[in-house]
Amino acid sequence: MNQLGDDCNSLSESFDPGVPVQIGKIEKELVRLWESSGDTKTRASLINFIVYTEDTSSLSADTEVISTVARKHACRAILIMSNPQAPVSEAQAWISAHCHLAGKGDQQICSEQITFRLDGDSAHALPNIVFSHLDSDLPLCLWWKADFPEPLDEKLCGWVDRLIFDSSTWKNPTQQFAIVHHLSSSDTPDRVLCDLDWTRLHSWRFALAGMFDHASAFPCLSRVESLHLKCAPGKRSTGLLLLGWLAYRLNWKPSISSDSFVTPDGSIIPFMIEAVPGANLSLVSIHCGEALFELELSESGEFFESRIHAPGTRDTRQVLPAGRGKIADTLLAELSRSGRHPLYTKTLELILPLLGKLVLPS
Amino acid sequence: MPTESLKTNPLREGLNSRTLPDPCTLVIFGASGDLTHRKLIPALYNLAADGALPPAISVVGFARRDKTDEIFRAELEEATRKFSRQSLNDELWKSFASSVSYHRSAFDNFEGYQDLAHKLDELDAASGTRGNRLFYLAVSPDQFEVILENLSKSGLNKVREGSWARVIVEKPFGTDLPSARALNDLVQIAFDESQTYRIDHYLGKETAQNIMVLRFANSIFEGMWNSRYIDHVQITASEPLGVEGRAGYYDKSGALRDMVQNHLLQLLCLTAMEPPAGLDADSIRDEKVKVLRSLRPLTGDDVFKHVIRGQYGAGAINGKRVAAYRDELNVDPESTTETYVALEVNVDNWRWAGVPFFIRVGKRLPKSGTEIAIHFKSVPPVLFKATGESIDDNVLVIRIQPDEGISLRMSAKMPGSSLRIEPVKMDFHYGTSFGKATPEAYERLLLDAMSGDPTLFARRDEVDEAWKFIDAIHAAWATRSNDLAHYSSGTWGPGEADELITRHESTWRRL
Repeated sequence: MNQLGDDCNSLSESFDPGVPVQIGKIEKELVRLWESSGDTKTRASLINFIVYTEDTSSLSADTEVISTVARKHACRAILIMSNPQAPVSEAQAWISAHCHLAGKGDQQICSEQITFRLDGDSAHALPNIVFSHLDSDLPLCLWWKADFPEPLDEKLCGWVDRLIFDSSTWKNPTQQFAIVHHLSSSDTPDRVLCDLDWTRLHSWRFALAGMFDHASAFPCLSRVESLHLKCAPGKRSTGLLLLGWLAYRLNWKPSISSDSFVTPDGSIIPFMIEAVPGANLSLVSIHCGEALFELELSESGEFFESRIHAPGTRDTRQVLPAGRGKIADTLLAELSRSGRHPLYTKTLELILPLLGKLVLPS
Repeated sequence: MPTESLKTNPLREGLNSRTLPDPCTLVIFGASGDLTHRKLIPALYNLAADGALPPAISVVGFARRDKTDEIFRAELEEATRKFSRQSLNDELWKSFASSVSYHRSAFDNFEGYQDLAHKLDELDAASGTRGNRLFYLAVSPDQFEVILENLSKSGLNKVREGSWARVIVEKPFGTDLPSARALNDLVQIAFDESQTYRIDHYLGKETAQNIMVLRFANSIFEGMWNSRYIDHVQITASEPLGVEGRAGYYDKSGALRDMVQNHLLQLLCLTAMEPPAGLDADSIRDEKVKVLRSLRPLTGDDVFKHVIRGQYGAGAINGKRVAAYRDELNVDPESTTETYVALEVNVDNWRWAGVPFFIRVGKRLPKSGTEIAIHFKSVPPVLFKATGESIDDNVLVIRIQPDEGISLRMSAKMPGSSLRIEPVKMDFHYGTSFGKATPEAYERLLLDAMSGDPTLFARRDEVDEAWKFIDAIHAAWATRSNDLAHYSSGTWGPGEADELITRHESTWRRL
């Protein structure tokens, strides 16, 4: 976190909000900041990246994430820390910049950050704060780091190109998934919904798909007999998202019993989600007749071990990358991948009936 | 989809990723060489680190030197640590390295190939590689014949039903049209055209692949991509390096054969081709061949008007004195081999009539860079004439390497009360915009060869047509020796090359 006069290379120091500014003078102060920065710093912006949080103690962590994101995706970042319950209504703002060296020269690429603290009634000014401080004509990515309120502000949602959230942190997944489902079915075709828990599952889905690429393997998918997953306590929704994806791709429907799927020919495929301390999801076993396809996360969380046991062929074992687990890495993966998530919407439809039976995390 | 009749992997859909290649064994001939250590193994490791290799894969290094699997792996690990795009992760390397083994044999030792056949059968049984074989000839062309003959004799080019065998051939594909044809005939005694993958690593570069996307996915460009709007095109490949231990090969080859016949003509094809009927390999390669067939042949005196050859003398690179080409180790002191060549090429078709393509390539130039620059025509000198301002033409630059990206130069008014017009540049950098490193060309090409996708590999007729064009130039050069221009190392080539483009009232771009 830097004001532009500082040494901009070191980003490991603590993250303060920057220079306090009057909200009405933010743009003017930003211009002044850049004009004083000299020729070696270039402001760059490819997206508006807004982080909304109701955790007012997360300034340093959120700013660190923004700094990491800005290194790969030059942006105008707006961090909004909202505390609607605060007794006194107050709105404060700060500006700062994240700079990094571009290539081998001394030219630095900088992204700017505007930080707001909205207490009490000021929290209701959120849409106005967003609308009045966007970099024009650039996509708006909003990372909503809280449970979605009901009702959602339609005007705000209408402006968002990419709504990012993390279903693994929700206190009430059943209600929250229902809100997301409503959002996905509302008529805002250009808005993309990004569940970071779904993004994390990409490496699982990629690795699982790879196990079935060979012509001798994918026919096994029509002979699946049962599924076994290991999830951390309270992270059953993560397991259900993965199962929902498998079910959608294999044309299964959820059964009434809520612990199995039904194939088009009426076969029942039971699944078990075992609660095991550790990673949100640590094991997927797919039993297809005598063949067993297993994907297990290493203890470090960095690798998968894929194991295929099929009668008549030699067992194969492969170590595969599992992606990194830090939230900034997941955000970067999401922003780099871009595009829509049509499979997520379909998956959501499939797991909604199962979510109703969820045991909520303590 | 009905699961009882699965024809493809349903889990792959929607993942924005390609299907993994079939399980296979990759046999690298020339496993002790530079290419294996600097490019091939690091590329394979990066594919493993991206989870892009099939669940079962074996890599067999075939070379003459005596060494164990362990020593071979240790050498490769050291090289991969040095040259890999991604830093080496010990656990991933260990997993990848367990699939690597060494097979010692001379290339002309038939028994070595019989042993290799046994070894591959054992690997199939042990690793599940299912009899699929990819042979990579990472050797000089003089070794091709003996390797291909022995592969045939030992039956390694034949496969069981349901399996495949392919061969990757490194450039140069011959030294002229007859030798290229002879080489292709030789390859095709053992492997037919559909099994032959002629690698041109320029085609594996992201920016080269992006040329088609830039042209055919952006309506603002394709409508202007013709002689009505484009004044000329410059294709440049420059490097500060000298011959660097390749003198034996290079002194016989020269810049025209080493770079223009393959890499730069391929870039010209991608720039000049018509939209293909589809994205399949043959549709694209058909269009590229049409461009090569449309090149106006350069023969006789025309060669001396439109082609400049040069050779570097002593000079300085990055502040260090460097020797003249003729003083380099293993170079004939009286060599007339060109280390620089500049050409004015015309594509005689409807789209490009009257638009010259200027190509230059050279060693010991000040900077490293490969790019295609599309120079658009000037605006009519009417509106701003009275102000006395000169207006630079628009230039669209596709940077192939380094710092892959695209930039567009246009004119803008300088702030202030008077009318001053200055060129400004809009710049797109792959690394910055997409937030991830672009894969190395060899990663993409190895994956394509394993997957049986020949789109980015040169087809036989492409190679033939390119040699026809190049051979005519060489034939003219053979009639004279006094046209070789000289330039000092660390400069942008001979003055004669500047004159070549000045005739078109233009100048070479400053990289």
